[in-house]
Amino acid sequence: MIEINGMVKRFGRKTILNGVSFTANKGEITCLIGINGVGKTTILNAIMNLTPINSGEVLIDGQNIDKGSYEKVAFIPDAITMLPSMKIEEAMEFMKDYYDCWNQKRADEMLDFFKLNRTDRIATLSKGNTAKVNMLLGLALDVDYLLMDEPFSGVDIFSREQITNVFTSHLVEDRGVIITTHEINDIEHLIDKAVILNDGIVLREFNAEEVRENEGKSIIDVMREVYQA
Amino acid sequence: MNIKFNNRDPVYIQVIRHFKEQIATGRFEPGQEIPSRRELANQLKINPNTAQRAYKEMEEQGLIYTEGNLPSRITKDASIIKAVREELILEAVNSFIASVQSINVPLDEALQLVKNNYENFTVEQEDIHD
Repeated sequence: MIEINGMVKRFGRKTILNGVSFTANKGEITCLIGINGVGKTTILNAIMNLTPINSGEVLIDGQNIDKGSYEKVAFIPDAITMLPSMKIEEAMEFMKDYYDCWNQKRADEMLDFFKLNRTDRIATLSKGNTAKVNMLLGLALDVDYLLMDEPFSGVDIFSREQITNVFTSHLVEDRGVIITTHEINDIEHLIDKAVILNDGIVLREFNAEEVRENEGKSIIDVMREVYQA
Repeated sequence: MNIKFNNRDPVYIQVIRHFKEQIATGRFEPGQEIPSRRELANQLKINPNTAQRAYKEMEEQGLIYTEGNLPSRITKDASIIKAVREELILEAVNSFIASVQSINVPLDEALQLVKNNYENFTVEQEDIHD
């Protein structure tokens, strides 16, 4: 389980996160929902210890993050971090050098799955294919938790469908996923848990099926309620 | 398999409903093997935990069964299949009654209209599917 307790983050005098707390379980897909600028990416950065937080803590399976945590949690940012001049196979080689948990077999499987060509240079790829390579590089790590920042943004509908397929496949099975989005429609039926953020706090954290069952509401219904309250 | 999900009913209940329809109409035959929960999740683009929950409920209701480590199968119990069919029919009839009652249609008139339109309506529906 990833546990976030009372996370506070300020940029200068501006408070972005003002005591954010929520949990994300292993074997579940947890979705951080909020409009642009609400601090979704900041939360992911903070979980990975890529940005210092002013107070609060992040626990991964009950432990504070240390250098060993990067073999347990993978972060897939919204834009690819590999050099554009690299071929896909070079990017994979690069990952293999950095991570003990790199799984080449799984990476190869995903090349097929996404119909990517390993000798293509990243700079020459379409936006959709760049997003797929980005996903591949994160998903091929044998980690327990995956953080994905806006995996669907700027991606055409068919690439989007392919990426959605990842969530129902063995590539994600039994792992814990935290995904951010401002477009819930595509993945409404895919997520276990929704965490709605606004003004630096968690407005509501709920299990999507439970809310449908007990309140007869869709995730968007709940969003409408909390944002317009 | 293709289901159009709505966003307000629990997805697992919509999955069970779909299975019941397939069982009642015989499109899923008694004893027929069904996809694994992972395959189902993938086909329907739903959360694997939800697929799991639907299977668990259907297992409890006796709609499907699993022997050992083998794939799950549709029940062979004729009484369950009959009950599913009756349940769906009754549900449909009740919702029909509710809609015609709400616009004050007398029973005889409603029945006559049903008789007149029943055959044609099926044909039209098929056209839509094509």
